Amino acid sequence: MTLAARDPRAPFDLPAPLVEPRIERIARYDWLLAATALALGLVGAVLVWAATRDVERAAGNNPNGYLYRHLINLGIAAVLAFLASRLDAKMLRRSGPFAYLAGVFGLLLVLAVGVTINGAHAWISLGGGFEIQPSEFMKLGLVIGLAVLFVQRSRDRDPGPPATSDVLLALGLVTIPLALIMLQPDLGSAMVVAVAAFGVLVSAGVRARWTIGLLIAGVAGAVLAVRLGLLQSYQLARFSAFTNPHHDPQGVAYNINQAHIAIANGGMFGTGLFNGPQTNGGYVPEQRTDFIFSVLGEEFGFVGGVVVIALFGLLCWRGIVIARRADRTGHLVAIGIVCWFAFQAFQNIGMNLGLMPVTGIPLPFVSYGGSSMFAQGLAVGVLFAIRRASLLPR
Amino acid sequence: MVRRSALRRREVGARRFSIIVVLVVSLVLTLVVRLYWVQVADPHKPKQTAGLTHPGHIVVPAPRGSIVDSTGHVLVDNTTVQVLTIDKEAISVLPDHGAAVLRRVAVLLHTTAAKLAAEITPCSVKVPAPCWTGEPYQPVPVASHLPMSTVLAVGENRESFPGVAIRTETLPHYPYGSLAGQILGYTAQVTAADQKRHPKLADPDTIGVSGLEEQYDDALRGVDGVQTKNLNPQGYAESNGGSVAPKQGDTLVTSINFKLQRLAEQSLAQQIADSRKAGMPATGGAVVAMDPQTGRVLAVASYPDYNPQMFVGGISQKNYAALTAPTADDPLLSRAVAGAYAPGSTFKLITSSSLVTHHEISMTGIYPCPGSVTIDGRVKTNYDSEVLGPVDLENALGYSCDTFFYAPEANEYYADEARIANHEQPHEWLQHMASNYGVMRKPGIDLPASEQAAGSYADRETRMARWKANKKTYCAQAQHGYPSIKDPKQRAYLTQLASENCTDGWRYRAGDNADMAIGQGETTMSPLQLAIAYSALVNGGRIWSPKLGWAIVNGKGKVVRTIHPKVHNTVPVSAKVFDYIANSLNFGRGWAVSGAFAYLQSPYRNRIGGKTGTAEVEGHKDTSWLATWGPIYHTKKGHHVRARFVLVGMVEQAGTGATAAGPMLKRIWDGLLGADGKKPIIPGERPSDRLPAIKATR
Repeated sequence: MTLAARDPRAPFDLPAPLVEPRIERIARYDWLLAATALALGLVGAVLVWAATRDVERAAGNNPNGYLYRHLINLGIAAVLAFLASRLDAKMLRRSGPFAYLAGVFGLLLVLAVGVTINGAHAWISLGGGFEIQPSEFMKLGLVIGLAVLFVQRSRDRDPGPPATSDVLLALGLVTIPLALIMLQPDLGSAMVVAVAAFGVLVSAGVRARWTIGLLIAGVAGAVLAVRLGLLQSYQLARFSAFTNPHHDPQGVAYNINQAHIAIANGGMFGTGLFNGPQTNGGYVPEQRTDFIFSVLGEEFGFVGGVVVIALFGLLCWRGIVIARRADRTGHLVAIGIVCWFAFQAFQNIGMNLGLMPVTGIPLPFVSYGGSSMFAQGLAVGVLFAIRRASLLPR
Repeated sequence: MVRRSALRRREVGARRFSIIVVLVVSLVLTLVVRLYWVQVADPHKPKQTAGLTHPGHIVVPAPRGSIVDSTGHVLVDNTTVQVLTIDKEAISVLPDHGAAVLRRVAVLLHTTAAKLAAEITPCSVKVPAPCWTGEPYQPVPVASHLPMSTVLAVGENRESFPGVAIRTETLPHYPYGSLAGQILGYTAQVTAADQKRHPKLADPDTIGVSGLEEQYDDALRGVDGVQTKNLNPQGYAESNGGSVAPKQGDTLVTSINFKLQRLAEQSLAQQIADSRKAGMPATGGAVVAMDPQTGRVLAVASYPDYNPQMFVGGISQKNYAALTAPTADDPLLSRAVAGAYAPGSTFKLITSSSLVTHHEISMTGIYPCPGSVTIDGRVKTNYDSEVLGPVDLENALGYSCDTFFYAPEANEYYADEARIANHEQPHEWLQHMASNYGVMRKPGIDLPASEQAAGSYADRETRMARWKANKKTYCAQAQHGYPSIKDPKQRAYLTQLASENCTDGWRYRAGDNADMAIGQGETTMSPLQLAIAYSALVNGGRIWSPKLGWAIVNGKGKVVRTIHPKVHNTVPVSAKVFDYIANSLNFGRGWAVSGAFAYLQSPYRNRIGGKTGTAEVEGHKDTSWLATWGPIYHTKKGHHVRARFVLVGMVEQAGTGATAAGPMLKRIWDGLLGADGKKPIIPGERPSDRLPAIKATR
């Protein structure tokens, strides 16, 4: 760890040097993390391009339209990441309640004026073909909000495990956005939010009886939801298609089957870029978003798939490294973000590979989609900020 | 203490941290292993389905088969029209998405480019009509019946009209307009209901919905062709696949004789005009000609008529409204087959058959023919209350005496009533004879069942059934009177009638039987049914299920099916009785036969016979009937009377049989048998028994 410079004019330690050496400022960014995220985003750009160019050309549109828009999203996400990286530890702590409340406000707004896409009432139309999906931002808001809650509540207290009241308060904070997302209903986002929150809870040192109890309650709740018909019919159809992909080959299972065909035919090295017949033919619905991994599988094969999975591993590893060095708030936030990225990537790729049921969530950085890209950019920025804060003298 | 718990917390924190790390690592490993299985190790990898393109089919409707007459004369064939089509896909790849092409086509067709653009856009939730309802890869027809100038403009300037094509379509064509229109029927675009019944029908197909077109639709329809396009998964055509040419439908040869049909229609139309000139309403009429020896129908005319050409390519709302307007007098209805009329005295064939066969009168006996008789307190008169005095059956038929037949049929009624009082079944011989002659049964001609009248008569059973069904209404009307009717006299009369119907409406009366004896009351028959009945008179009693269709000939000119009329029933009447009736009504008897009046100067009058009918219709002028047969010949064995043709004529609201139907049929007989030095229109004065040769079409 670098020692903090001491200002000769001051009789006390400063939280930060007045003038940082330029070299050090740059060194405080986790460049490996940045490169990993950027690599994923660029891989995504190529895959989105491959998934859309033939179909768009056939429809008489610009075949490169989605490529450009993905790159623009990526650029905006980079700017957001840079802005978020400028937060210091205090600002991060203070932003907690705001990030959380902003997320909840967005979800409420969706219920009021949202539009429905693919069965979920999850988008706010901004006009001109732009839509925003508040649940993406809620993931970050909730992680920061929860982390700040635990740290603030335990600040003046015996530093044991969080008190029951803290846990209940935290559960309340989780329940509100979770309920709002389930109202849309967006099962995938709800699962990611729940997992990220669970990661924060576990890392906050909540007693094992709580964490294990919550796990059991979660499973029981899911079973109950199916039994009592709380899920929408399209969600149930996706689940039953997951358990039996040949049940309804023209309906929901069609998606799974076509993605499976695409990936399986990729083999070891894939068909090569722009050469995937399944992709070029537009056989896989929702390919540029939820099923982007099937493009990778078909055109770049097992090798390409492993590279992308490895990139996600790298991303998570950088997050974990940052979490380990961070202060308590930063630690919890970083763990929450890692859990979010890890689970969302796993859920998305798992669904492409028939491991997980179909829930409409994008593959982080890779799938086409502004809201998720921006939220992930902010999250990476927050990771930068945590790392930078951890490198400063406490 | 604080220190220890802090230490413990750090331990817990580290343990928790490692849990997260392990979880993340296991997720990554799970994915890699699964990916390896799916992409590399799985021995049962799914195959890529059906290549990259799938076939799209464009149905090319088959031209319908022709309908020809018994001499090979074409009654319905096909004509070709030029249709201009625009291929939306082909023009959408142009730099301006086809805007210039559409503008040029719009000028040619005197429309606007915007209208054309709307017409060729496939319909969807977001695209309302006008829009293209077919497959998106199908060229859209935007105009038909193109003038030659348009065809040439497109053909000569191909480079200016990419994606625009001129296609030739075949449409049914009726070379003689309305000739035999109601019998030929018409075609229409298939509906969803048709497709449910015939799953093979495609959207652009047509289907016969009336007349012979409907009856023989299966044979006439042909087999649609198919043009295959290879489509990419978005439904855009990438290349042309194979094509199967459509197969034209088979030809239907009918027993209709074109010349006789035309003559019958002309004579009918002339009679309507003549009767109207004489001050009669003459709202409609019909002529049926059939071969009594084979059951084949040779001509069916009905007035008013319509031109089936109007229905080709879809009838306009205006035309359809005109055809179905009340003032149009049902031109779509063939009065000859679907109309049911009181047959009047022509029914006496059946009455005589019954009375003589059941020995209620004899062929030699003399019976009274007073001006009127009273049955059940009601006075029934002859036409114009004519008095003939005592006559035999021959003259009763010839002069058409009504009162002659009232007495024996009233007696038959009373005898039946006595049987009922004795708990025996009534004989109802007249009704049975009517049934034997085919009354109250659809004749089974090869036309849609809904276009054939069954005719009717009253008997005890039907009267009772009707009363049971309507009793409540009658009694309610009797109880409440008719408060809405202002005239107190009429109100009292109707109330009285309802009251009688309420209590006694079930009763079949002697007067009913007498009415039936002269083809009145509830007795009705179609002209075709009468022709079938009179055919039995001159063919030994055979009641035909007559046929219009004779043979189905395929595209190679080969007969694939011959249609044979079937004998439905043989009337239980002896040959002697038939000969007696036929001889009684021979026009050679001159003034003694009412039907002969128009034929007194005809050279052939000895060779034909016939019975007039003048049927009274409540609130209308009389229906004029004449049923004739000829030329007469005799069987070698038994010397029984036979005839080559049976002609039945009917004119609504035109007066007596002798004044309207008589001259109408005379013009046809003149043609059939030759008059004024003209040769008979049918060589040999007998229906052809040989199928015409049909040229192969493929």
